[in-house]
Amino acid sequence: MNAKKKILIIDDEQDVLAYFEAVFQDSGYDTVLAGNGFEGFELAKLEKPDLITLDITMPEQSGLKTYYQFKKHPVLKKIPVIIITATDESYKNFLNELNGFSTPEVFLSKPIDPEELLKVVADIFSDNNIKK
Amino acid sequence: MAKKTNKASSKSDLEKYINKRLFDTIPLGIAVIDPDYNLVYANKTFEQLFGSWENRKCYHVYKNREDMCSRCESAMTLKDGLPRANEEAGYDKNGRHIHYLQHAAPIVDDNGNFLYVIHIFTNITEATQIRDEHQVLFDQVPCNILLIDRNFHIVKANKRLTDWLGDLEGKYCFESLKGLKHKCSECTARQTFADGRTHTGYHVWKSPAGKTLHLHVITIPLKRADGSFDLVMEMAVDVTQTLKLQDGLKFAHRFLETVISTSMDGIFAVNEKGRVTIFNPAARKFFNVKDNQVISREELAGILPQGFLAQVSGEPGHAYLPETEVKTIDGETFPVRLVGNKLKRSDDSLLGMAFSVQDLREIKQLEKEKLEAERLAAVGHTVAGLSHGVKNLITALEGGMYMLNSGLSKGNIERIQKGLEMLMRNIERISIFVKTFLSFSKGREIKAKICDPAEIAKEVVDLYEVKADELGIALTNEKLGDVLPAPIDYESMHECLTNLVGNAIDACQVSNGGSCYVAVRTFEKNGIITYEVSDNGCGMDYEVKKKVFTTFFTTKGLGGSGLGLLMTKKIVQEHGGKIELESKPGKGTTFRIRFPRSRLPKVIEKG
Repeated sequence: MNAKKKILIIDDEQDVLAYFEAVFQDSGYDTVLAGNGFEGFELAKLEKPDLITLDITMPEQSGLKTYYQFKKHPVLKKIPVIIITATDESYKNFLNELNGFSTPEVFLSKPIDPEELLKVVADIFSDNNIKK
Repeated sequence: MAKKTNKASSKSDLEKYINKRLFDTIPLGIAVIDPDYNLVYANKTFEQLFGSWENRKCYHVYKNREDMCSRCESAMTLKDGLPRANEEAGYDKNGRHIHYLQHAAPIVDDNGNFLYVIHIFTNITEATQIRDEHQVLFDQVPCNILLIDRNFHIVKANKRLTDWLGDLEGKYCFESLKGLKHKCSECTARQTFADGRTHTGYHVWKSPAGKTLHLHVITIPLKRADGSFDLVMEMAVDVTQTLKLQDGLKFAHRFLETVISTSMDGIFAVNEKGRVTIFNPAARKFFNVKDNQVISREELAGILPQGFLAQVSGEPGHAYLPETEVKTIDGETFPVRLVGNKLKRSDDSLLGMAFSVQDLREIKQLEKEKLEAERLAAVGHTVAGLSHGVKNLITALEGGMYMLNSGLSKGNIERIQKGLEMLMRNIERISIFVKTFLSFSKGREIKAKICDPAEIAKEVVDLYEVKADELGIALTNEKLGDVLPAPIDYESMHECLTNLVGNAIDACQVSNGGSCYVAVRTFEKNGIITYEVSDNGCGMDYEVKKKVFTTFFTTKGLGGSGLGLLMTKKIVQEHGGKIELESKPGKGTTFRIRFPRSRLPKVIEKG
């Protein structure tokens, strides 16, 4: 029996954090919340989440910069990342500026369909299990 | 008989005259010296020339010497009895230098001894002086002079010419001056020989070194008293340099004429009497003046801005209006750039005035179109970013719905409560968002009025005074130097500055303690009105700076619409201005908005 999976949600909108927290918790996941990228990175080191959802457009520190931090970290770089942002445009820019870092597992565009989000998360976890 | 007697008596009278009177009346000085050079006899003319002579030696009287001359012609005459004639120089009775011809002849006694020498003097001082002066003139006059005989041999040439070409005497003129083997086909000297008159001509000489000279030549017959002549004097003035200058001047003139007539700018000029002497095709086109139409001074004053002519003709004699209005000849106004310069001679006297005018109609139109394009681009940017803001809002609304629905189905009151709060909060956000966005996108025509730029800054600062005080932020307003009234849309500029000052105060609130300030400055330099809003608040890093003017970007979470700076930028652009930003994280931010007067909007209504 696997332990409960832990998901780190990083978004500058408090309402989005509350929303995703409710969706994930209703499906039996543990959640950790961060209102900005900096906080998210610190929390990840502490909490060792199994998955991260990351917004791109955030004021203090952009999602791209936060993504770099994860991918440079020896341990955290293995954690799958779902990019959730408002426009395809900003995701395209994000991809163009990856500078050789591996692409994120999944990109989802806001507004989010909770069913789809949960399916993507489940797929990632089952894939990882098969690999193991 | 009586006749005879008369003859005899007149003859004796004549002899008496010759013996007694002639000696003194003859206009030649006569003196006699003995073998010891003592003057023993002299006539009146001599006395008049040399003064007293009795008991004096000849050399003492003639030459003012104490001892004998080293070479004495009289001594030789005393020896050999031969008469001699010399040109001598000495001193007259007043000690003045004189030239004279001295004839020396022996006086022989019956035994054939030379007892005395008689000296006869002719004063040639004046003639010598004239001759010397002529020689100097001949040699030093700044032109080449030569004498030519009928065979075209050079008889004499002045020093100027011989210094240049060497000895020319006896040579053919055509050979030494032009390097020719035969006479010239056109020869002014020949013309003079033929008709005895003065002729002028234009010659080209070639020096042995191959240098070409251009000369203006005059030939004059050197006539004797009877009108006959065998010599012609040729005077040749070197005009090579003059011709070169003339050519240069002609070229410069043609060049200038071409430039003026083909210039895209209007060029016109008036002379010292105010008559319009130049009015080029471009100026004719601008001012709608027909090709052959003459512009009077009054008409010129009428088409130019009032007082412009006076400004140019006064001191400092230069006027530049980067943007002004002139009238066509039929009174239609149009915008131009206008330059006027007073033209002065080297002695500072007035030569005239020159003007250059650039038609700004096309530029103005382009500028207007560019401003409109910039405004549309800003709107376009906003619309593109709109989806971003909307999607975020929808996500938040959906989140609220999810909380509400799941709360209802689970009977979780807390979750229902949270869902409702989320919905209400985001509906409120939508309403703020829509309001701001509407005011941004409706593209309200700005209405410029003449107002005091510093007054707007003052009002905005007054508005924030209480809030800044409460927060412990030092808010200051400063006007540096003079800022003259300008056409500005008061409400828009007020909003623009309100945004910047509001942002600065927010930045101070976020910063990590210490004493905070927000400083607003208004100043004008080189026709550019500038507002500066500085704070020592949190500042911005590179990522934020890159995004501040893009759509719906906010660092203030739910507190900001993300439209403030975009709105500010739009207002600045509509006033033809530019917005600049300097910021360092933790150090503070300075926003600077600059408005060149020339790009400010037109006044819609005065007052």
